[in-house]
Amino acid sequence: MAATDTPDPGTRPDTAGRHDSAVATADDRPTTRPADDIPGAPESNPGTWWLVAGLLLVVVLGALTRVLEQNIPVWAEGTAFGSVAKSVEFPVYAIALGLLGNGVLVLLGVRDKLAAAFRTEFFIKTGVVLLGASVNLSLIVTAAVPAIVQALVLISSVFLFTWWLGGRLGLDDKLRALLGSAVSICGVSAAISAAGAVQAKREQLAYAATLVIVFALPSIFVLPWLAETLGLAPAVAGAWIGGNIDTTAAVAAAGALAGEDVLALATIVKTTQNALIGVVAIALTAYFALKVERTGDAPRLGVGEIWRRFPKFVLGFLVASVIATVYATQVGSDVAKPVIGVANDLRTIFFILAFVSIGLGFTVRSLRTAGWRPVLVFGGATLFNLVVGLLLASVLFRGFTL
Amino acid sequence: MTTSPVPAGASPAPDPDGNAVTTDPTVSATRRYHVDEDWLATVVGLVLLGLVLTGVVGAGVIP
Repeated sequence: MAATDTPDPGTRPDTAGRHDSAVATADDRPTTRPADDIPGAPESNPGTWWLVAGLLLVVVLGALTRVLEQNIPVWAEGTAFGSVAKSVEFPVYAIALGLLGNGVLVLLGVRDKLAAAFRTEFFIKTGVVLLGASVNLSLIVTAAVPAIVQALVLISSVFLFTWWLGGRLGLDDKLRALLGSAVSICGVSAAISAAGAVQAKREQLAYAATLVIVFALPSIFVLPWLAETLGLAPAVAGAWIGGNIDTTAAVAAAGALAGEDVLALATIVKTTQNALIGVVAIALTAYFALKVERTGDAPRLGVGEIWRRFPKFVLGFLVASVIATVYATQVGSDVAKPVIGVANDLRTIFFILAFVSIGLGFTVRSLRTAGWRPVLVFGGATLFNLVVGLLLASVLFRGFTL
Repeated sequence: MTTSPVPAGASPAPDPDGNAVTTDPTVSATRRYHVDEDWLATVVGLVLLGLVLTGVVGAGVIP
């Protein structure tokens, strides 16, 4: 293949071990390029002033989101748009403003310089920790068993389906592992963890992470709408949303659109899946070392390795719930309610910053190079996830009281 | 960190954290960055909750 051919990070090597892709061969060489095309990755360092400018932009767009959220229903009252405006929640304004800002920054040619400030993962994880304060510990304890069962069944079945479909369509084993982890566990974070486990190439990670965002954006709006259309109970809707939308930020956005109870349960289910990243990463490391790469050496499978890969913000979520539950017990619910309300307002601020960052950081750059097969695999896996997730949520959370 | 391709039959050398070295340093860097970001988010979230519960951050502070 000529070096100028379209590169395909998802191409399987031929029988002689050669890749039929120019980029795959080139990437056998070490690279130290910045990860500008990997959502959530550390960016190249364009300078402190660009970072400050980017943060300011996120904050300004976040403030504008707050203004629009609070005032548009008032401004639109009495007009044809009035009833619609009342039902539009802050994630819609935040993502729309982010995407709009993204377009402007691309036109000005400064988006990549500012991208270091678009820290969706940090903002959403901080928001999730604060969300723990409004989730009573008893709810987490009650939901733990069905959430763990759902996570185990969903992760196993969706991962294996994605692995199988990727194999049928001739995808490289590493990309199959990345896509399977991303769809079945928790999107970008899982793809990053799996990329470390299977020694994936940066193009494959960038590609998987971009697919997560491309599929998550419409899911934010489609799943709450579907849940309402299907008449799902809040617990079932929350479990379905939390088990299906790949990335935690998008789960929070969809949950916020569907209501406070749905958001709480969706977050519990999603953080349960997040907590299983370490186990899946270890299994992948072992499988690739012993079966795919055939290095012959079993990796270390100890508790320490699982702990290293464990998403620590899940602990923050649990600790916040314990602290707030103890606080409410001691001071009484009348005193605790307005105080926890302040924590909820702070959580909303971080969610807004995260959703603005989703829009600002959105890029389809890496999709241009990868062809249609991985998109088909990801789409098929997402549909499979939707159906199996709905069945599981309906069975496991039937009659669940919030 | 070495980035040479791993010879056939040999296992990759572990990095200082005990993880297998990936062929791409960008992937390793991204993973480490996520771990740090997890801790940072946990600390920031819990500190803010502490400030709210102790009354340092009240309703009037949030826009």
